[in-house]
This record gives sequence, structure tokens and C-alpha cells, in this order.
Amino acid sequence: MAIIEVVNVDKIYNDSDVKVVALSGINLMIEQGEFTAIVGPSGSGKTTLLNLLGGLDTPTNGKIRVGDVWLNEMKGSKLIDFRLRNIGFVFQSYNLIPVLTAGENVELIMQLQGVPAMQRKQVAAEMLSKVGLADRVSSRPAKLSGGQQQRVAVARALASRPKFILADEPTANLDGKSAESLLQIMEHLNRTEGVTFIFSTHDQRVVSRARRVILLEDGKIKSDFAQ
Amino acid sequence: MSYLKMAQRNLWRNKRRTAITISSIFFAILLAIVMRSFQLGSYSLMIRNAIEQYYGHIRVQHPDYADDPSLENTFEYDERLLENISMIPNVKTVTSRLETFALASSGNITKGVLVLGIEPESEKRFSNPEHFLVRYRLTQDALDRLEKINALTAQTREVILAYLGESFTNSAKLVRIFEDEQVSADELYRVLDATKVKGRFLREADSGVVISSRLATYLNVSIGDSLIMLSQGYQGASAAGVFPILGIIRIPNPDLDSRMVYMPLALAQNFTYSPNRIAYFAINLYNTSDEMQKATTYSIQVRIADNELEVKTWQNLNRVLVQQIESDNQSGKAFLFLLYIVVFFGIYGTVIMMVHERMHEFGVLVAVGMNKLRLALTVVLEMLIMAFIGIALGYLVGLPVIHYYQIHPIRLTGEMAKMMMDMGFEPLMPMAPFGAYVVWQGVSILVMVMLACLYPIRKIIRFKVVDAIKR
Ligand SMILES: Nc1ncnc2c1ncn2[C@@H]1O[C@H](COP(=O)(O)OP(=O)(O)O)[C@@H](O)[C@H]1O
Ligand SMILES: [Mg+2]
Repeated sequence: MAIIEVVNVDKIYNDSDVKVVALSGINLMIEQGEFTAIVGPSGSGKTTLLNLLGGLDTPTNGKIRVGDVWLNEMKGSKLIDFRLRNIGFVFQSYNLIPVLTAGENVELIMQLQGVPAMQRKQVAAEMLSKVGLADRVSSRPAKLSGGQQQRVAVARALASRPKFILADEPTANLDGKSAESLLQIMEHLNRTEGVTFIFSTHDQRVVSRARRVILLEDGKIKSDFAQ
Repeated sequence: MSYLKMAQRNLWRNKRRTAITISSIFFAILLAIVMRSFQLGSYSLMIRNAIEQYYGHIRVQHPDYADDPSLENTFEYDERLLENISMIPNVKTVTSRLETFALASSGNITKGVLVLGIEPESEKRFSNPEHFLVRYRLTQDALDRLEKINALTAQTREVILAYLGESFTNSAKLVRIFEDEQVSADELYRVLDATKVKGRFLREADSGVVISSRLATYLNVSIGDSLIMLSQGYQGASAAGVFPILGIIRIPNPDLDSRMVYMPLALAQNFTYSPNRIAYFAINLYNTSDEMQKATTYSIQVRIADNELEVKTWQNLNRVLVQQIESDNQSGKAFLFLLYIVVFFGIYGTVIMMVHERMHEFGVLVAVGMNKLRLALTVVLEMLIMAFIGIALGYLVGLPVIHYYQIHPIRLTGEMAKMMMDMGFEPLMPMAPFGAYVVWQGVSILVMVMLACLYPIRKIIRFKVVDAIKR
């Protein structure tokens, strides 16, 4: 069974005078272990789609299943708790809590999950070494480069043992080299540990690394192919 | 990573803002408790001056006496009753008095006076008028004597003229008026000598009176002179008598000081043809808290149940003083309220800035799985830490200040002091000791902080993750 199933989803923003159709008629299945890019020009609906998949927002029409749960059946703190235990997030920037060290940022999510302190420390160190930051456990975000911060965000997402990780333009604010290394790490985690990644981008070099590419245009899926 | 530690780091993150918030709380607490302490201290001084040193905390009197304090509403002195009342544990002192209105004249000056028949020994224990016995008076006579022997420099003369009519209970108080002047010791000695008054307090068998200092000045009389007094006695008899002045006392209350004549009780009863009658028992208490006063009032009521008498508290009998204190107290509270409103808006502003700066962070936290309630609690925790530090510092500095000035009351000097002395008060600004009011200031600040916390709580409950992250 696919870990994500999107059925006839529309997202219409109605909050201003003009009605904006951000997504329309989206149908989508995502399997365990995918390394999928959602691409498309700015304003095509990438962020909107990822937010819906992550349960951060609700579709206007249609429904979304994650694992064996339909997201529209959950609300409030139940939904927040579902995210905590099932979905990893990496945002475009400012992912980290500035007053916490890299290690503490990674630990925080496990703390919310109720993982005991000893185990948290160990797992955090392990995750940070997976993203090549073993030596930066006690650095504050301000002391890390943009690329390093994004890698800490990946480590944090990993630490929660999610079903999949959603990353909305994770490389958008990075220079070429940092973007490259972040992608490498994500790819490596996907290959060796089977971590499912769904990320959006409009960077051609990033797209070329994806194994499946979903192209959005004006809120519709224009194409969906494996490469 | 405990939430406490996280809160602490968040506070550290914007040190300036945290410092400003904490110090605004600190200053508010400090100002509030010091101001309140002065205020409450001044009330207890007022009560001490007016009530304890003359009126009595509680009086036992005829039921009609409150409305019509005439000799007709006096009662038969009852020794056993007085002893019974003095045995009540919270009763410090009891004394019996007879009060009546009279006209007092000397030469061609006449004035309405309050005649107070007292038991000299028990009155000493009660209000201790002897303590206010005047030793020095700056009278016209004294000045004339000094001028006759050419004893004064122009400067000294001016000071004496400024204080002409004043009475002093000891030499130190008299000397103090020359404090800022250049007066030689010799000259001072001559002034002291010329202004000395040789009065004494009443004894039980005396057939003379002790009068208050302003009255003495008004009637232009001194020790050894006599007062002619006219009054109406018990059951309409007309009363008249001539009484030598044995002493002069300076009563702190200016109103009383302008019209008081003390007589031994027996003499007063004689003068008014009311043998063995008294107007009231005046009673002072050890503990004057509301509850203790109530309890003691009740104990007294039980003991007088067989007599046709009633118990009145000073609050019953002194509506004016009570209202005066009450209205001053209200304006003090209003000021505190304003102070707290200001503090509230200060904190509120801080909170708004803080929340806006951290909205993105809140968004990330809720996105990755932090419960909104927990998030709100971490923010409230930060606010509470600031509140507690500010309050603790306020107490840490404020309490020793109150304590110090309670033990060493501020003695006013200069114009202010003179003004207070003119009103008959000691020029003191005592502070009230630690009390519930201190705790209330902390509680009020906490309430303000809690109210300010409603903003982030509301904001956190309402914000949408997607909007927060976009920023
Ligand atoms: N909160 C919103 N209110 C109104 N319109 C929105 C909102 N968020 C996104 N949109 C609109 O929805 C469309 C898709 O936006 P988005 O998902 O952010 O695109 P992308 O991430 O591909 O750049 C855009 O036209 C955008 O202006
Ligand atoms: Mg986007």
C-alpha cells in the first residue's frame, strides 16, 4: 500500500477578494522509499501541496491518506501529535530553534516524543554524524552555515523516525556546493536506509538527482515520471 | 533540555528587553511597597496621635452618649466593672473620664473649652499626658524679659518672633529652632532660662487644672494664673469655679490642643455636681487588628451585659478620621492601580514584540509536533521567570528599606517639619512594618503579567502553521 494517497484534491485560497486556485484535481500515490521531486515554476503550488501532505493545511476538496489514516479525520492536537510521530519536515530556511544547540535541536523532537534523555543524546549524536556534523553537536544555529543548518534540520527530521520527510525547497537559500552536499546526504540516506524523501525545487541540478519527478503547473500535475 | 533552561536561554537571547522588563517590575514593586508603607505608616501615626494618645481604641458609655454627649448621659462609676474589663487579655489600659463643655476666661478673654475629668495615675498609663508637659514657652513676656536685659541679637530675636506662642516639651526641641542660625551658647542659655516653665502634671487631690498649650497662648495665661470656668452641671445646675493653672501640656492633635482643660476626676465631678458619675471608660488595646478588636469588643460586651451601657470602637465614634484615612487610602490605591496599568502596558508591549519576532519559530515548533498548549506554557514560563526575578529583587531591596525606616523613622526638617509641628504632629514619616500589603503588591504584578500572557496564549492558539512558517 502506498504511504501517501492523494484523492481529487483542490486547494482554493479564498481569504482575499480574489479567489486563488492553488491546486486543482490532484491525484497522487507515493510509495515507501521514494526519492521524489516536486518541480514547477514559482507559484505553481509546490509549497501548497507539501503543506497538505504534511497535514499543515487542509484541502478545500478531496482527501489525503498518510499510512492508514485519513488526515481530514484528525484535528488540533491529535493532528500535531500525528505529525510528530509520522512526518519529518525540512523548511526552506530558519528551521532551527536559535537558542538550542544543533544537538538540542535534534533532541527536542525526541523529547516531544517522550524518548528518555540518555537515548536522546545518543540518537542525536548519531543523526548528526549521519549528516556529517558530528563535531557540531554543541554549536548554536547562528554559528553554522546555511548548508549546515539544513543538514541539522535533516538530522532532526530523521531523529523522529518518520514515515517520510517533506522538504520544501531545502536548497533554495544555499550556494551550489552546499546544495550539492545536502542532496548527496539525502540521497545517501534514501539509498542506504530507505528514508522516503519528497522535496520541492526549481533547481535543475537538484531535479536531476530525483528518481521520480512530479511537474506542477498552475496547480495541476503536468507530468509525473521516473528517471 | 528542560523547558526551564530553554526559557532561560530565550530570556538571555534578548538581554536588553529582558533587563528592561525585569527592572520595570522591580521598580514598580519597590515604589509600591515603599509608598504603601509610608502611607500605612502615616495612618498608624495618625491613629496613634489621635486615638491611642487621647481617644482610646474602645469606649464603654451610656447608649445615648454617642448622640448626646451631655452630663445627663453619664453613668455611675463602677469599680468592679472597670476591673473586669481590665482583666481581658487584649486590654492594655482602661481609664475613666468625665467630659463636659465649659467657658474658660482669664482677664477679658473667654473661650469654649473641653473639660476632661481624669484619674491622673491611670491617665498617665493610658494617654500619658504628662509626657507632653511643656517645659519652655516662647511667650511675649519671655521676649520682653530678654529684651529688657539686652540679651538678644537681631537674628535670635527674629527666630523667636517667628515662633512666638510656641511651646516645647524639652530643651532639645527649643534649641532645634535655632539650628541653622549662628547663636552663641551663652545666648541660647539665656533664652532657655527666660522661657522656662515650671508646671507639673495633675495629682488626684489637686484642686487646679492643667491646660493645653494653644489654649494657654490664646488666653494669655501661664502657670500660677487662674481660670474662671462656667458650665452647666448635672441636671441643669449651674456650675462655676476658679481653678489655678498647675501645668501646660502640648497635645499633638492641634484641635484638642486649642481647647483642653484637664482636671482630676473628683474635682470635675464636684464642679459639675455629678458626684461619682463618669462619661465613659476609655480603653486601649494591645493588638488593634480588626479581628482582635472585634473579639475584644465582644468580650467587653459580655462583661457589661448587666449594665445599661454600650461598647463603641474608635471607628464608630470618629467617622471623620476614618473617612479621612479611607479617602487617602483610596487615592493611594488608585495610584497603585495606575502604576500597575503602566507596568501592564510595558509588559504587554514587550510580549507583543517577542511574539512577533518568534512567530516563525513557533510555526516550526508546531509543524514538527509541539503541542500548542505546551508552546504557550513555555512562553508563560518565560514571563513568569521575569516576573519572579523582578518581584524578588523588588522585595530584596524594598523590605530592608521598609524595615530600616520603620525602626528609624525619617525625621523631616525645614519647612515641612515646621508645618507638621504647627499641626501638632511630630515631624516624622514612619513606615508600616511588613504586612499583607507587601504580599499584595507582588500578587498584583503577577496578575498583570498573567493578563499580559493572555496575548501570546491567544496568538499561539489561533495562529496557522502555514502562515507562521511563510514569514
Ligand atoms: N495563503 C495564501 N493565500 C492566498 N493565496 C496563496 C496563499 N498561499 C499561496 N497562495 C497562492 O497559491 C499559489 C501557489 O502558491 P505556492 O504553493 O506557494 O507555490 P510555489 O510554492 O510553487 O511557489 C500562488 O498563486 C500563491 O500566490
Ligand atoms: Mg514555495
